[in-house]
Amino acid sequence: MSPLSQPIKAFRILGTLGIIGGITLLYYRIFNVNNVTVALSFLLAVLATSTVWGVIEGLVASVASALCFNFFFIPPIGSFTIADPQNWVALSVFVVTAVIVSQLAARVRMQALESTYRQHEMEQLYTLSRNLLLLEVHGSLAQETTNLIAQVFALPGLAFYDRTSDRIHRAGPRDIPVDAGKLRDAALQGTVFHDSATKTTIIPISLGGQPIGSLGIQGSQVSETALHAIGNLTAITLERAHAQDAATRAEAARQSEEWKSTMLDALAHEFKTPLTPIKAAVTSMLSDGGVTPTHQELLRIVDEETDRLNSMLSEAIRTSRIEAGQLQLHRSPQSLSKICQAELEKLGESIEGRKVILDVPEKLPRVSVDPEFTGIVVWQLLINALKYTPPGSPVTLRASAGETEVIISVEDCGPGISEQEQRKVFEKFYRGKDQRERIPGTGMGLTIAREIVRAHHGRIWVESEPGKGARFSFSLPRAPRES
Amino acid sequence: MTSARILVVDDEPQIRRVMRTTLVARGYMVSTARNGEEALDKVREERFDLVLLDINMPGIGGMEACRIIRSQSDIPIVILSIRNAEKEKVEALDAGADDYVTKPFSMPELLARIRAALRRAPLLSSGTPDLVKLGPTEINFVARRVTVDGTEVRLTPKEFDLLRYFASNPNVAIPHTKLLQAVWGPDYGEEVEYLRVFINQLRKKIEPDPSHPAYLMTEPWVGYRLNLPKA
Repeated sequence: MSPLSQPIKAFRILGTLGIIGGITLLYYRIFNVNNVTVALSFLLAVLATSTVWGVIEGLVASVASALCFNFFFIPPIGSFTIADPQNWVALSVFVVTAVIVSQLAARVRMQALESTYRQHEMEQLYTLSRNLLLLEVHGSLAQETTNLIAQVFALPGLAFYDRTSDRIHRAGPRDIPVDAGKLRDAALQGTVFHDSATKTTIIPISLGGQPIGSLGIQGSQVSETALHAIGNLTAITLERAHAQDAATRAEAARQSEEWKSTMLDALAHEFKTPLTPIKAAVTSMLSDGGVTPTHQELLRIVDEETDRLNSMLSEAIRTSRIEAGQLQLHRSPQSLSKICQAELEKLGESIEGRKVILDVPEKLPRVSVDPEFTGIVVWQLLINALKYTPPGSPVTLRASAGETEVIISVEDCGPGISEQEQRKVFEKFYRGKDQRERIPGTGMGLTIAREIVRAHHGRIWVESEPGKGARFSFSLPRAPRES
Repeated sequence: MTSARILVVDDEPQIRRVMRTTLVARGYMVSTARNGEEALDKVREERFDLVLLDINMPGIGGMEACRIIRSQSDIPIVILSIRNAEKEKVEALDAGADDYVTKPFSMPELLARIRAALRRAPLLSSGTPDLVKLGPTEINFVARRVTVDGTEVRLTPKEFDLLRYFASNPNVAIPHTKLLQAVWGPDYGEEVEYLRVFINQLRKKIEPDPSHPAYLMTEPWVGYRLNLPKA
């Protein structure tokens, strides 16, 4: 609370004396009343002054009225002496009553003032929280928050230390005398600093136990409770802004991903249009006969390369779909041995004379899967094994049935994968450390495989020891019994 | 049969060109249209034995053109499309197409499919009854007429052929592959979604309550069965 200025205090004390003087004059000169009436009138004056003006004025009124009562109304009149012992008692009772009344009245007044003040502070806090919620940030959020606090609480000076940016934001007409070091210390140690010489207070601000900054103010206009409330509001505002930032960035990344996928999809379709007449023409010529063996071979090359281009485009379309999260499975009961066999046949030239051992029992239980996508997983694991192993080393494609799932694995005798890398191989765009330069690839194959297996509610994993080859496996839940 | 008249509908001039060259060399009579609207005009003006229809075209597009042609005629329609998602195939078959070929296609395969679409199963194969009654539905295989409660229902040739195959093999579960090869041709067998669409269409036309079929039954994991009441 602001201390009153000297002239106002002096005026009030003079006023108090005036009132007591007035009552004395009234009863001594004009109305002749008994002493009880006089005493009660004085008490009323004490009550009024202490309620309206405060404890000092109340005490002045008490002392002045006791003196006047004694001098003008208790015999012998005109002196401060008291003849009758009874009057001693009366005067004592009067003095004690006057002092107690003045104290009580002043306390009530203080409490009333205090609650008015608290109410005002609450209103300010409410205004602050509302404004912070509606704050439209054009520059630095921390600076605008600082400005807003100074404005709402009419603070002469305010400093806010933002730990994230390690910057100090100041607001208010005066620059408050706190240095950066103190603000930083308060934030890190989580302690409250109070300097009575400069009347500055620094409080730490934290959210969820994490120090995020500190707030320093000058003057005693804001109670410490309110100061902590301001600190919390600031913390929440900044945190909300950070969360929003993160969400915006994630949304932007998602949109860009979606856009890339859409573009890839559109491009792949565009390329397929000219491939159609090429394929139609070349297959037509091949089936016609009547061409020389040399031409037939050349046409076959055109045909095969058209197929290769087409499957690359199909792959691009599929990748973009899976990337965009549009993996739609068309599940039906399937024989896994058939799928494995078909994928093995597709490898064709990529085997490069290697031995691929097929260890898949004919009588595997059927699984409810999308045959096309399951084929992609098998193909991907096979092509990976072939890519990363030296020519001539064998690759095994194995399948076995458990109680609840069927497991398919591809084993190779390549260089193996270190434990750290095993965790990363399924991540998007991750490529083996040593193979990055040597072996072509997009780093998407195993990610796609993982997404497909997950969509089937299966698992995919790798077991490997460096130097001893690797085994990639995936499981698919068994289909319910045939009815 | 090679004098059949084929309408090629595609907005890509090179595709029209290669189709015309190849099909004419095979003895077909070929007419072309650049979009759905033009195709509809041509189908109204001339008689064709088959339509090869692209899906992705400016204007009304292949899917809508297919629906309109089917509502007016039983002519076999083979869809040619770059998209190979099952959703698109089912949509095309639902729109009344008889077959769906994904671009780019090999010419011998397309020719085989054209032959399959043009081929009508012989009017009466051995073992097919002349007349079959399924509750209120009466199927006259001689007259190729289907009536429900006396009202005539129109079946497309493929739907009719499918129904006839069921009628000649009643009360047994017929595997998907067998049905596809018998009705579409020997090059078929994997196109389970074709059956799903055509069986649904048949159910809508001949079953009293299509969602709870009483005659065209699904045999889970195997195929379908015609439940023929004992006469």
